[in-house]
Amino acid sequence: MDQLTKDRWDRAARSFDLMAGYGPEKRWAPYKQEFFERMGEGRVLFLAVGTGLDIRFFPPGRKLVGIDISDKMLDVARPRLEAYDGEIDVRVMDVHEMPFPDDEFDQVFTSCTFCSVPNPVKGLQALHRVLKPGGELHMFEHTGSSYYPFRMMMDLMTPLLRARGTEMNRNTVANVEAAGFELREVKHVFLDVVKTIHATA
Amino acid sequence: METRLYFILGDVLANVAVGAVVGIACAAAFSPGWNMIIAMFVGMAIGMVISLPTLLGFVALFGAMEVMLPAMTTGMLTGMVVSMSATMGDLAFGPAAVLGIKSGLGVLVAIYLINILIKRRAPKWTN
Repeated sequence: MDQLTKDRWDRAARSFDLMAGYGPEKRWAPYKQEFFERMGEGRVLFLAVGTGLDIRFFPPGRKLVGIDISDKMLDVARPRLEAYDGEIDVRVMDVHEMPFPDDEFDQVFTSCTFCSVPNPVKGLQALHRVLKPGGELHMFEHTGSSYYPFRMMMDLMTPLLRARGTEMNRNTVANVEAAGFELREVKHVFLDVVKTIHATA
Repeated sequence: METRLYFILGDVLANVAVGAVVGIACAAAFSPGWNMIIAMFVGMAIGMVISLPTLLGFVALFGAMEVMLPAMTTGMLTGMVVSMSATMGDLAFGPAAVLGIKSGLGVLVAIYLINILIKRRAPKWTN
């Protein structure tokens, strides 16, 4: 397990919801509601449960496996996990070292995760491995921008936020393709920075 | 386009606050003795740096990227405009703040329009 990343998120667990739990979640709520409606009834992996802010958007009655690198984040998520009207099997795990067999899941969901995965292409390749052929990857992510001045700002913010484990200028769409996925749809939520990505294995 | 009044007001408040704070800071930092071009670049950098701590509270209340990117653009533009103005003659804090607020509102309207255009376009990445 990547101990540096785990320690960062363990430290962030207590104050995470203070910055992310109200404004950003309220703003993105309609988009996330629509995004998670795509969660089907097959075997679903949710990557980076975090403090469980996204659980309220999950359709009821689903059976998921949720993973996160930080047990401290999962401790904060506990009440939200317990309140979900369905089953979430939560495990502490590094995406780079998932012990699941090949072709295990029908769908994988991520939400604001791949700004923080240390090796994004490798992480996405791991998701590709555990998805069944034709299985769906659904991502709600913030990325870098291809437009000035936003691109410059994301580039400037990246070294400032790297210590917190967040890269602001990643080209996640290209990373998804580099990991072997076939892109189906990219929808912009805000500028070309916040977006949903749908790809298949 | 954002249509919820809570977030529109939040965006306005964040950009007005960043514009005013950066305007005052740049009016204090620059005087007619400065070279205008150097002041412009230093002012842009000051504006972007100051905008980050100023907008933190707004991020928690009103959104992440939707608040950060317009407010940082406001910081950069206000830093540029106020710094250049300050090199052309003494600029009091009041007019500097007003200049920053006007810049902030202009940036916000521009980004709302740019957002509409980008969302209509096919995804683009030039890396």
